[in-house]
Amino acid sequence: MKKLFAVTLGILTAFGGFVDIGDLVANSLVGARFGMSLAWVVVVGVIGICLFAEMSGRIAAVSGRPVFDLVRERMGPRAGLVNLGASFFINVLTLAAEIGGASLALELATGINYLLWVPGVALVAWLVMWRVKFETMERVFGLAGLALVAFAVALWQLGPDWHELGRQLTQPPADEGAPTYWYYAIALLGGAMTPYEVFFFSSGGVEEKWTRKDLVTSRANVFIGFPLGGFLSLAIAGCAAVVFFPVKAEVDTLGQMLLPAGIGLGQLGLAAVIFGVFAATFGATLETALSSGYTISQYFGWQWGKLVRPRDAARFHAVVLAGVIVATALILTTIDPIMVTEYSLIFSAAALPLTYLPVLMIANDPDYMGDQVNGRFSNTLGTTYMILLLVVAAAAVPLMIATKAGQ
Amino acid sequence: MKARELHANLHLLDRQVISADDGHPVCKIDDLELTFDEKGCPYIVSILTGPLALGPRLGGLAGRLMVAVTELFRPEEDPGPQRLPMRLVSDINSAVAVGGTPQEAALEHWARVNLIAPLPGSGAAPVAHDRRPARIGEVTGELRMSTLLGRRVLDAGGRAVGQVADVRLRQDGPMLGDVQHAFRVDGLIVVPRHTGRLFGYERGPHGPGPALVRALIRGLHRDSRYVTWEQVDTLGEDVRLSADMDALLPLSDLYRPVSADQGHENGPTPA
Repeated sequence: MKKLFAVTLGILTAFGGFVDIGDLVANSLVGARFGMSLAWVVVVGVIGICLFAEMSGRIAAVSGRPVFDLVRERMGPRAGLVNLGASFFINVLTLAAEIGGASLALELATGINYLLWVPGVALVAWLVMWRVKFETMERVFGLAGLALVAFAVALWQLGPDWHELGRQLTQPPADEGAPTYWYYAIALLGGAMTPYEVFFFSSGGVEEKWTRKDLVTSRANVFIGFPLGGFLSLAIAGCAAVVFFPVKAEVDTLGQMLLPAGIGLGQLGLAAVIFGVFAATFGATLETALSSGYTISQYFGWQWGKLVRPRDAARFHAVVLAGVIVATALILTTIDPIMVTEYSLIFSAAALPLTYLPVLMIANDPDYMGDQVNGRFSNTLGTTYMILLLVVAAAAVPLMIATKAGQ
Repeated sequence: MKARELHANLHLLDRQVISADDGHPVCKIDDLELTFDEKGCPYIVSILTGPLALGPRLGGLAGRLMVAVTELFRPEEDPGPQRLPMRLVSDINSAVAVGGTPQEAALEHWARVNLIAPLPGSGAAPVAHDRRPARIGEVTGELRMSTLLGRRVLDAGGRAVGQVADVRLRQDGPMLGDVQHAFRVDGLIVVPRHTGRLFGYERGPHGPGPALVRALIRGLHRDSRYVTWEQVDTLGEDVRLSADMDALLPLSDLYRPVSADQGHENGPTPA
């Protein structure tokens, strides 16, 4: 019974924690511009993140090694350092976007300009990381993020023409060029498969001292929680497709992105969605900030994590603090947080193979995994995604330049 | 008992070092230091760690900067990296466990004293009592593993065979401490091209998957060879062999399952 409760709680946490500012922005933008014609990318992305997270969770449970340990161990110090630089850069960019998102949610709730909220959000986030226990932290914000289910209810309440939404699945709008279509496909994939999710997931598994016995928990989180989160992403895209797509309205602020929930469910729905966005982005702020500490510490072999007192992981906490300060400074330059999010999505997608390949290799290495190496099914799927991610990585930045970031 | 066999690059370099007592992370194996036994065969005496070991391996601007900054803050005439004697190693698995209390890294100490301890709630004791533990008695060696990797290999006739990609080690060298043998160099894995790493796919015909990755990496390294230590003549700037290129074993013939004969997971290492 207790076990079942723990597993359910884990699933709900993964569900509520799946959506972050990246998913929200990407799905709203795409829903408004392309209707449901890119929904298949969300499905591809969710299967990809399940595969990626399951492998890294299994490695963490069997060998006790988190992802960035493996990156350096298998790629060597030089390629590992390049990888570290890219991952850290993307992490800080995403961290800035999440802090911006949480502040924008507070602006929507209070009417006070988001820039005034930024330092407060950053400070509270840091205090939580400094003092609150890992499990409490993960649970509270994961569960609070469940308020985003309001998007799914709103879509249902909007009473859309389901037949029309179904038709959009296979027919991209005629007035959009192929490059922009594929550019947004990559952004969506980057939203669903953000590298920090995997850093955080595997490091969390190591911190919670997963063993082989916890493989069930790990798999339940991944295979039930993440697809539910993906379903929420589709609901967000669906809302935008119903409200904005028919009138060809451009979506470029967080307020507009949440508007469909207000139309569908009234004030209460809007309040729930704003709360959900705050919880989700604040939770993701913690995850990205900790991930920046995880990557550097694991590359250099430092003591890391929240199980020991800060004094015993001084370098780790110093990196986390520095990451929060840099990201806060970036958002305080008044750069548009939504734009920062879009760029972080594309760079995330471009950097995916860097961490995916070592994980795929180690998941096949019996020295680490014993009898828990990848089976034939994981490897067939794993190889397919390897090719897909390499193509995406090669195409991401050229497409960004060719389409002037999707304009 | 059959001596344990490992590949230096694959199984040791860049692995996490953890404390044998409580499993907390200590450092990475940034490099390994070798010395020569009476027959002239190199064996591993210590694990090197810290920026002065990692920097030279990284090379380039980042590596030089790392070394230069560290040397700037080290008062000694000729500062060296921290050394963990191999005799303290109690287990080699997905992480390498060492006993004793290794000296804390300078950067960790600095970050704690100057950044973390002053913040409320860090759990730090008053700084004045915070002394760094003393260094463990140093055993210095003569050769770094990283300088052996990547060296050019020439056969008896002076023909280029390729470069060293990995070093095969066998745990039957001289005694270290009272309980375990040292890992000595048993042979070299030589690849023909400058493509660097084998990523663990050199192990056997049914080595790790996925099949496509294995085929690609095998294809890149198809003319790789295995040089036994007996076939090595001198370890100079280039490695000169006493054997002819055609007498060398193709790498694919090497396979003896490195993982299978060790057992796995918590299996004690046969010394």
